[in-house]
Amino acid sequence: MTLDIVHDLQSVYRKLVDSTSRPGLISDLRKEAALVEEEDQKGCSASLLLLALTLFDQEVSFKVFSKQADSVSKTINQLTYAKPTEAKKADFLLILQDAEKGSLEEAIINAKAGTLKNPHTSAFIFVEVESVTNGEALLLKGPGIHSTELVHLDINENWVESRQEKNKEYPLGIDMIFIDQHHQLLSLPRTTQISRNRVMG
Amino acid sequence: MNTAYNFAFFDEGSKREIRRATLKAIAIPGYQVPFASREMPIGRGWGTGGLQLTLSLIGKNDVLKVIDQGSDESVNAVNIKKLVSDTTGVATTDHTTEATLIQSRHRIPEVPLKKNQILILQVPLPEPLRYYEPSESETKKLHAEKEYSGAWLMLFEQIMKYGSMTTGADHPVLVHDRYVMAPSPIPRFDNPKMHESEALILLGAGREKKVYAVPPYTKVVSLDFEDYPFEPESFLDKHCRLCGSTGVFLDELVDEGTNETFYQCNDTSYCIETLNEVEPFGVK
Ligand SMILES: [Zn+2]
Repeated sequence: MTLDIVHDLQSVYRKLVDSTSRPGLISDLRKEAALVEEEDQKGCSASLLLLALTLFDQEVSFKVFSKQADSVSKTINQLTYAKPTEAKKADFLLILQDAEKGSLEEAIINAKAGTLKNPHTSAFIFVEVESVTNGEALLLKGPGIHSTELVHLDINENWVESRQEKNKEYPLGIDMIFIDQHHQLLSLPRTTQISRNRVMG
Repeated sequence: MNTAYNFAFFDEGSKREIRRATLKAIAIPGYQVPFASREMPIGRGWGTGGLQLTLSLIGKNDVLKVIDQGSDESVNAVNIKKLVSDTTGVATTDHTTEATLIQSRHRIPEVPLKKNQILILQVPLPEPLRYYEPSESETKKLHAEKEYSGAWLMLFEQIMKYGSMTTGADHPVLVHDRYVMAPSPIPRFDNPKMHESEALILLGAGREKKVYAVPPYTKVVSLDFEDYPFEPESFLDKHCRLCGSTGVFLDELVDEGTNETFYQCNDTSYCIETLNEVEPFGVK
């Protein structure tokens, strides 16, 4: 079995639409991820590669944060023709699990936030994490959410505060997508307000 | 299914482009995201923006409904349905509850939309500020500065002139307290259905090359004044001549023989379903 770039990527896209329009809704990419060939991955998770295949082409640029950034960038470029570039210019920033500590915050700080006239010229940040179903409890509010949504995210950085700072001048901001080891996807567009939930629910 | 075409007509590059734009649109509710609208084998103004959204979304397991001004059977709706099903093989339906994708021109269906559905509205004029500002670069600036006094002034002038807000269809709304948005030429009756909708609503303008979105559970408020509150069309004391429904959007018709005025559901599939509930016939 190999990945069908028409039907399997359509399926990935619809899950992206579902999760982005309903922040907190976790999408399962296991079925599609299982079809990604091992040899194509080169240090990048199958599900992150799926997102790249779904959205990247020669019209977009990206930046990889990883110990193997060069080889992963090369792979993504060869598979999608998207252009590697620096963080401040990239349309997509990819933070792999082996990235140095602080990479996520660095990415958030440097990412394009768009302009008031063109807020869509902002960056997407894709983050590989251990789990999007275990870890710190975060309470979500905003469009797409019926009152509130509780998610658990395992990230060892002060990214929530950096993100809040980055997104404080809405509609400027960044949109984030988290992918975990089990190919589960969580999307947090700029409109989602996050508060750390100290009380265990 | 015609296999001489790509699945869903488009090449994958065209799909990727509109998909990226759509995700941004969802992330910035009510903001018009530009995209490279493609030529389509139907006339412009016939819903090419909506069609491109539908084609970028649709998968083998979708069930498609297309309506034009409330009717599943209009030439426009039938042509769009045929193009999509010829190039995808997906099933089509008239029943709102069975559909996963609903492409519509000028109406939001009467049956409340659900979580597993996406409503795609065809938009002729996406820019709500265009009535008083012809320049695109100026309207972009007005949106950037959240400078909407012109939109209010426009409504105010109508009140002065006609004693009420006579906007008819496409009454502007404020989305997520940020962007003034054209809801497409749906009647005012349908505006409240956008507020805190259970379904994702995507809007596509082919000629003007814009896509925008109202995510589920998003605040959508029709512009109005304290002294002149927004009022949907009212059909008080009126009912559908065919199915008896009240509280739905009714078309006013005149019997040519008797010259009598009567009313009929604008949403024809809703009307037929209601009729079938009352008087079941055939195999359901
Ligand atoms: Zn009726």
